[in-house]
Amino acid sequence: MYRVHNITQAYSQAPWRKQLQWVGLFMLAIILVAMVAGIYLSVSSQASSAGREIQIMYSEMEEIRRNIEDMESQIAFMVSNTEMEKRAQEMGFTKVPAEDIFYILVPGYFKPNQVDLAGVPGPTFPSVATVAPEYTQSLFDWLEERVFDPASPLVQEVKP
Amino acid sequence: MSNSGSWRYTTLGILLTTLAIFIVVQMLRIQLSPQAEALREKGELYSGTWRTITPARGQIYDRWGHLLAGNKTVYEAGVVLDEVENPSTIALALNAVLDADYDQVFAAASTKPSPDAIYATVARFVTEDQKQRLDQLSEEMKSAYSDQKDGNRPSLAGLTFEPRLQRTYPEKDLASNILGFVNWEGDGFFGVEEKFNDELAGSPLRVWIPFDPNRVEEFPQVPQGSSLILTIDRVIQAEVEDILEQAIEESGSESATILVMDPTTGDILAAATSPRLDLNEFWRYDEVFEGSTPFNRVVSETYEPGSVFKVLTMSAAIDSGAVKPKTTFLDTGSIEVGGTIIRNWNSGAWGPQDMLGCMQHSLNVCLAWVATQLGANRFYQYMENFGIGHLTGVDMAGENAGRLKLPGDEDWYEADLGTNSFGQGVAVTPVQMLMAVSALANHGQMVFPRIVLSIIDDGKQYDTTPRISGTPISAKTADRLTEMLATSLEVESSVALVDGYRVAGKTGTAEIPTPYGYTSSQTNASFVGWGPVDDPRFLVYIWLEKPTTSPWGSVVAAPVFRQVVERLVVLMDIPSDAMKGQLLEGQ
Repeated sequence: MYRVHNITQAYSQAPWRKQLQWVGLFMLAIILVAMVAGIYLSVSSQASSAGREIQIMYSEMEEIRRNIEDMESQIAFMVSNTEMEKRAQEMGFTKVPAEDIFYILVPGYFKPNQVDLAGVPGPTFPSVATVAPEYTQSLFDWLEERVFDPASPLVQEVKP
Repeated sequence: MSNSGSWRYTTLGILLTTLAIFIVVQMLRIQLSPQAEALREKGELYSGTWRTITPARGQIYDRWGHLLAGNKTVYEAGVVLDEVENPSTIALALNAVLDADYDQVFAAASTKPSPDAIYATVARFVTEDQKQRLDQLSEEMKSAYSDQKDGNRPSLAGLTFEPRLQRTYPEKDLASNILGFVNWEGDGFFGVEEKFNDELAGSPLRVWIPFDPNRVEEFPQVPQGSSLILTIDRVIQAEVEDILEQAIEESGSESATILVMDPTTGDILAAATSPRLDLNEFWRYDEVFEGSTPFNRVVSETYEPGSVFKVLTMSAAIDSGAVKPKTTFLDTGSIEVGGTIIRNWNSGAWGPQDMLGCMQHSLNVCLAWVATQLGANRFYQYMENFGIGHLTGVDMAGENAGRLKLPGDEDWYEADLGTNSFGQGVAVTPVQMLMAVSALANHGQMVFPRIVLSIIDDGKQYDTTPRISGTPISAKTADRLTEMLATSLEVESSVALVDGYRVAGKTGTAEIPTPYGYTSSQTNASFVGWGPVDDPRFLVYIWLEKPTTSPWGSVVAAPVFRQVVERLVVLMDIPSDAMKGQLLEGQ
């Protein structure tokens, strides 16, 4: 019995060493938590500033749209019938009487009867979200997807 | 540690545990309480804001793509009440820069802030320049009075500007009666603005905008309102409006209306009427359109058309076979129809006349006889086929159907057949007459008048197609009438004739009914004509209301037709008859 006790005592850690191990483990846990918190803060601050930028961009888009409308109207004012007539008169143009006009036939010429403002219609894409799921789904959403739908691609392609 | 001190730790532990349990219980109680939902909603209110995204109103173009109605940025000036430092300065500044009423602005800016009074609008339609002047003023005040701690220091604090798109009309009053206008709230009034309000305005969308940038979501795409391309040619419209103004001045008329249509497609190329409003100042509506003055006489005002209606009566009679162009009628100066004696415009007897003579001299007696030969049933059937008394369906708001009394109606008498035959006792709109006469100008096929050529929606242009309303008369009858009316003008040496172009037409002079009967002192003078006769490209309708220089359509309205056509042939690239012949020979 004494021998057994001596052997156990010989292979036991010293109390100060045990304490140090516990302190070390605790510090490791603290460092891990701090790292996770730091990463979380960094990512969430990046997400926040990206979100804020998106909000600003939406405002800018709206302002640009308003500017386009403004510009179109300003151009229309500048080339309005009254303005164009005034400018033509200032440049010495006068209204032509019917008898002064000479007509010629131009084979193949076809005068359009109206304007085409829409242009050539382009290909249409179905309406899809332009933000990839990686940016919107949570870790749990992703884990759930991996567990229940492991065949789904890891990165989904998103078309505008 | 001695045992004597352990009870303190035990007590502290119990207290802390009790406190924790109490907090948890309280949290659960609040979460599950009846007020929880309301509290959650209240909390949600502070986490973002609801915003209505109003799409830009669709634009309106003429047939060549010139912008007739667009949008521009204006600002709504308002005050955030709890930020206002000096209401008097705000009122003074707005009075100086915007000419706003001092008292009203002062009262609004002085409102005591409360949960129900947070913001007050103080001015609308603030332009970019005006906003910049106010912003500059605000900055100058800040730098000049920043040291002054006095509560009465000049300050524009609290004054804010909210941008928004407002309708603008680059051509000002051009085609204003066709276009209509849009008020501050974005509602269309009159013309195509009202008729197509839903399409032009698009669908506003209410979205939740979170303040938390982490919760920002993609903005939904709100498509712009549909745009319209009208059949109007702005140059023709402008020329016609100039001629109209000149005609009103020269004839001393109360008002005038001129319509130009392509009789083959129904495209209204110009529709000018008076008065007109600079649509950028729509708030002057009451000032311009006093009393019951209609905004758009083209579709809204009915009147008795007078002798221009005879073309419909004669075409119906010839088409039905009741008379032939060579049929002779002995005009004794009067005829009795349904107990009413009908006389000619000069009360004279014109002796034997064929149908060309009847039209040439515009004989009421002859046309009343023609109507009796046709019979009431057939006459009214034809008139209904011509669309008289029915809406034309033209795409402008406020159309009036007019009135055609029919046999069987309580107020119809046999005498009406006689008077209706020369355009009295029947109420029509100018656009109705235009549509009816298109049957004559388009080889028997009557076209629906159209004002919208295309609709641009979601980047695609959808063209409307010309529609035939019916064939009230045969092509042969239409061509015969056209020939008769062209000859009639030539024989009369009418002032409506245009050098180099053969045109057909008919004058009209209608006495205006009053509560005391017809008055010959005030008339509606009109003219309807089309050309070139061999291939009609235009149909023109002129109506002068109460001309004072002469009551006769042949004197005041016919020259206006000539003026219009002289410009039309140039603007529409229509070669003279002789030149067209040469061109065809050269082919």
